[in-house]
Amino acid sequence: MSINKDTIVAIFLLLFCGIMINSSFDIEDPGYQGMKASFWPTIVLCLLSIMSLVMLVKSMIASTDINLNSENTNSQNVFLKFKNASICFLMFIIFLGFLDYLGMLIGGVLFVFGLLTLLGGFEIKKIINHLIISIITIGIMWSIFTFGLKVILPEGEILRIW
Amino acid sequence: MIDVILQAFASIVLDPVTLGLMLVGTLAGILAGAIPGFTIAMGVILTLPFTFGMTAIQGLATMLGVFVGGFSGGLMSCMLTGIPGTPSSVATTFDGFPLVRSGRPGLALGLGLWSSFFGGMISAVILVALAPQLAFLGLEFGPWDYFSLIIFALTITVSLSGGNITKGLIAGLLGLFAATVGEDEINGVARFTFGFDEFKQGFAFLPVLIGLFAFSQLLTDVEDDKRAKSPLMSQSGSVVKVEHRQAILIILKRWVNLFRSSFIGIFTGILPAAGGSISNILAYDQAKKASPNRSNFGKGEYDGVIAPEAANNATAGGALIMMMALGIPGDIVTAVMLGALMIHNIIPGPTFIQDEPLLAYGVFIAFFVAHFFMVGLQAFSLRIFLLVTKIPMYVLASVILAYCAIGVFALHNVVFDIWVMFFFGVIGYFMKKLGFPLAPMILGVVLGKLAELNLARASGISDDLLLFISRPWSLFFLLMAVISVIFPFYQEARKDSLFSKFYVPMSMIVLSLPLFLMGSPVRMIVATILVLTGVYFLYKRTSSLKTT
Repeated sequence: MSINKDTIVAIFLLLFCGIMINSSFDIEDPGYQGMKASFWPTIVLCLLSIMSLVMLVKSMIASTDINLNSENTNSQNVFLKFKNASICFLMFIIFLGFLDYLGMLIGGVLFVFGLLTLLGGFEIKKIINHLIISIITIGIMWSIFTFGLKVILPEGEILRIW
Repeated sequence: MIDVILQAFASIVLDPVTLGLMLVGTLAGILAGAIPGFTIAMGVILTLPFTFGMTAIQGLATMLGVFVGGFSGGLMSCMLTGIPGTPSSVATTFDGFPLVRSGRPGLALGLGLWSSFFGGMISAVILVALAPQLAFLGLEFGPWDYFSLIIFALTITVSLSGGNITKGLIAGLLGLFAATVGEDEINGVARFTFGFDEFKQGFAFLPVLIGLFAFSQLLTDVEDDKRAKSPLMSQSGSVVKVEHRQAILIILKRWVNLFRSSFIGIFTGILPAAGGSISNILAYDQAKKASPNRSNFGKGEYDGVIAPEAANNATAGGALIMMMALGIPGDIVTAVMLGALMIHNIIPGPTFIQDEPLLAYGVFIAFFVAHFFMVGLQAFSLRIFLLVTKIPMYVLASVILAYCAIGVFALHNVVFDIWVMFFFGVIGYFMKKLGFPLAPMILGVVLGKLAELNLARASGISDDLLLFISRPWSLFFLLMAVISVIFPFYQEARKDSLFSKFYVPMSMIVLSLPLFLMGSPVRMIVATILVLTGVYFLYKRTSSLKTT
């Protein structure tokens, strides 16, 4: 018997199913005739639980053991492997968090510039290029959506006051 | 009928705005197909936000341009650099690249281009002929049959999306579950909202799709630091003059291969989830088996270029048949198109062609026209492609991530949709890392509400669950679902195993049962053919077992 990534995922999925099945008991029953609102989600969650259980059993009897402490999964390698993705996640959360204040235009330019610089490097020439790219691309997209497609993009507090 | 077709023709061909949009769409598709790391689906998804402000026909025509252009775009990169732009052009590399290396780049590109064109044209004719017929068939479906069809669409997506079937089923079920969040359409009762008002509307389908597919793909593209910083392609091709006339003559001389490959493409397209990535390999394999010059394959054989390119473009028509006739998306691209139709309050289904003839015939005509644009734009797009390949992936990814945010916001003008996209982007990224296929989850999200609605309708009409197996169409789809779930085990089984020998004939015999139950003469004949073929295979395989 072995514990690998699939085992952890299966346990996580089972926990998820447990929470959601428990939450499905709170779904209101208005008393109308026909299928209840909780019926379909319950079926889906039950099937999901069964499949997660199958995955758990399969992962535990699997002959290939992916050792959690192997070289592939040590913390430094994991950090390097997910470094760029983590930067994207973080930048996107910051971008969304400040969207109300900065708006889509300023926020978008800062997001693209920040992401380009963090992913591409900090050399002066590159930074200037990144700034130009972010201003031009977001400027064009913002203009297309605002003037061409008449979408009212978030203006942001800064531009609103200004 | 004729006046509707003429009106549809006018709305596409005589409208300069629609033509212009299609032109831009086709160009964007060719580029999206040509750039490794980008896929046709991603191109169509990224086009979607621009279509919000368009009419339904303009939006669909633009997306069809991207769809058709994308299939042929892949041939540029695979021929000039040996790197397939999309999975749909993998097999083209086998003979296309050697043909270019042997000093015939113009002919190689011409063969690919015109095979794509002819393959697309053949599938367009089949689309026009078959979709209305299939829609008539769809009118026979009751909610039981629809529900079973959706179950089949999901199971075949799982079995064809590759990898672990358990993980595929889990992904599909997660998609179905995601579609249940929010107020249910039947009773209007809030589900899994956990007190958040934003959740009451549920997760809009498009932010989920863009997150799962585009966002997660971009994160994967920038994962490798070195690769993200280097230009998209280390090898770069050069502008070549396409040898149109000679290429057309060669293809027409090999018309059997062209038609066979196109039909393989159409059939693969009709099957849910089996897209161009499968059809191009299948067609190449069949062309190789049928060719007298089998030893030349892999060395620049013309048939080896014609087959995959005709097949992958024909797949587009096949996928559209299912969407137009039954409202069931065959792949991610048609799922996006379905979403685009829903934005315009049009729900595709068996009555779609009857209810919206102008739009339906507009789609047919746009599909034809897009192929002409694809041929006309190839030389121009080749130059742009060579420029784009010099851009590093991190630049493209950063800009497109921002674009995704803007595009998703434009859908309902709410920031919550961007959070949804981000959330599903993160989920999609980790699911991919953990070996879960994303296609079943996407189809689950798209089809979840439809499945629940049909189940509710079925249970509202009758409590009798046996109707799911006593109605012929429902039984047919449920049997197909079971067969498709077993399919991966058949693929993995040893060729000489009992299971492998009896899977196909037994499936044929079993499938004939609902066809017999349908009663109509044509279906009885098809069922008899199925039984006889199945029995013949059984006999052959049993006798081969006895001899060994």
